[in-house]
Amino acid sequence: MAEKRFDVTHVPGAALIAGVTFLALYVPVLILVVNAFNGGDMAGQWEGASLRWFAAALDNTAFRNAALNSLIVAVSAATVATGLATMAALAVSRGRPVKGQGGIFIILNQPLLVPEIVFAIALMIVLARLKQVTGYQGLGYVIAAHTTFCIPFAFLPIRARLAGMDLTLETASMDLYASRFYTFRRVTLPLLLPGILAGFMLAFVISLDNVVVSSFVKSPGQETLPTYLMSELRRNLTSEIYAISALLLFASISIVAASWVVTRTKE
Amino acid sequence: MLDIRSLSKKFGSGAGAFHALKSIDITIEEGEFFTLLGPSGCGKTTLLRMIAGFEQPSGGQLVLDGKDIATIPPNHRPVNTVFQSYALFPHMTVAQNVAFGLEARGTNPAEVAPRVDEILEIVQMAHLRDRKSSQMSGGQQQRVALARALAPRPRILLLDEPLSALDLKLRKQMQFELKRLQGELGLTFIFVTHDQDEALTMSDRIAVMEGGTLQQVASPRSLYDHPANRFVAEFIGEANFLPGTIVDGKLFLAGSPPVPLLREKKSRGAVAVMIRPEQVVVGATSEKAITLDGRVESLVFSGTDTHVSLRLQNGTTLSLRSPNTSHAGTALADGQALQVSLPIDALHVLPEETADAA
Repeated sequence: MAEKRFDVTHVPGAALIAGVTFLALYVPVLILVVNAFNGGDMAGQWEGASLRWFAAALDNTAFRNAALNSLIVAVSAATVATGLATMAALAVSRGRPVKGQGGIFIILNQPLLVPEIVFAIALMIVLARLKQVTGYQGLGYVIAAHTTFCIPFAFLPIRARLAGMDLTLETASMDLYASRFYTFRRVTLPLLLPGILAGFMLAFVISLDNVVVSSFVKSPGQETLPTYLMSELRRNLTSEIYAISALLLFASISIVAASWVVTRTKE
Repeated sequence: MLDIRSLSKKFGSGAGAFHALKSIDITIEEGEFFTLLGPSGCGKTTLLRMIAGFEQPSGGQLVLDGKDIATIPPNHRPVNTVFQSYALFPHMTVAQNVAFGLEARGTNPAEVAPRVDEILEIVQMAHLRDRKSSQMSGGQQQRVALARALAPRPRILLLDEPLSALDLKLRKQMQFELKRLQGELGLTFIFVTHDQDEALTMSDRIAVMEGGTLQQVASPRSLYDHPANRFVAEFIGEANFLPGTIVDGKLFLAGSPPVPLLREKKSRGAVAVMIRPEQVVVGATSEKAITLDGRVESLVFSGTDTHVSLRLQNGTTLSLRSPNTSHAGTALADGQALQVSLPIDALHVLPEETADAA
């Protein structure tokens, strides 16, 4: 007879804890989504279902600008971060071990080690000076800052995918007259693609909802979606904020779901 | 013709260095089915990987058609490998896998498709050309791996234990097919295995390896009949060893009068006398033979014959076969006293190895 493993679901109260946790996580989000469809003027007072606040949000130029900025930042930062993460993952898992490989891991994971607020303040001080010297005030700073903390998130799924890949496949390719580059293009890269896509989408979502670094690094007048929502909350609490939050939620869920589907079907 | 000259491979350096291959010399003939046979860790796979170009030799030469290829990278060597794990590209179809080597080599695209069709026809996989490798059985993957390695028309095909993952029945069938294919193509095959039956049934010649050195290179028949040493005798088939001494061309075995030797007259001193179990005769024989007395220790029925283990008077154990013919009046019993004859012609005198002189 097989030995019985410890099963946490048999602990008294396990179901209750799980239930409460689930409610605590999802009920507030659900309330937010419901409120986004509230037709009334005052947030929190239900006056019938309506799409009016979604319409108002889409009509709001400040929101549209912030959304566009967020999209530009997220796409750019995720693209650069994924590119760098792919190269880093290949470097540490293919060929001879690089000298100081441990150091590379520390640098890569810096954003996971250093508290975000510390990093943000440090960046603010340096970038304020840089903005003064160069006169450039654009989104480039935010993109660069987001890239740094996107790298570890992009790196992890790519490295996991590489680690699970059979090295014999690359050997077989070389045996069949393929050069290193041809092997990379026709064997390694296609097999790595699901990992790269997963890394990109993770990085994209992480960048999309960042508040702390964005607030400290952005130039005056610049807003990303999260910083716009923060400032709006201080001024007027209409259901428009719920509508915008709901839109952000849908976008985020779609991206994560899409990445999940892509990685699943490729395997 | 592939000429392996003093090829050696050392992993690591200094006192901790491991000599995977110690100066190997073999000449592999054109169109030969050549097998590297030995237990795991004997260096056979290292040698194969060196011929493929995946390992750099520490010394020696690999001369193919008069050119030393030892330092040429694998993608520039006219040899292809069938891997133990098949290593089919999972994101490609059967046809794309088979076309890979041709495309990577820059073959004219108009010639790729006909060659792929031709080779898939040869391995009987044409009907599955659009399948992905993950949707195929082990035997089918095996055939695709073979087709992929053959498609670019290599000078030599290397096979790294390609049948070890298949079940027994399929393995027997693939052994036969590989042998037939090799004959039809007239291509040189270098086959690595640890399975002596596989090596005996398929090969033209076998190189028996152990501890990074060559023990013997010979045809299956002559390996079996004339093993060069105790390792080869034990690794290929079953063998009995009896301690003996040779003085003045006469063999002294404990428990029998000295007999003059017909062959191996050069040996002298302490020797090991080897005889295959099936060559031991129960009872007397008309041939010139040594007769020994013993007692039946165990009997194992195995269909066509019974495996008999005999405890000789001098204490050593002797294995022999007793055929189960229907008219065999002499059914053996446990503990029964038995006289056996060892025909002199069937005896092989091997140098006595001093207790593992490694």
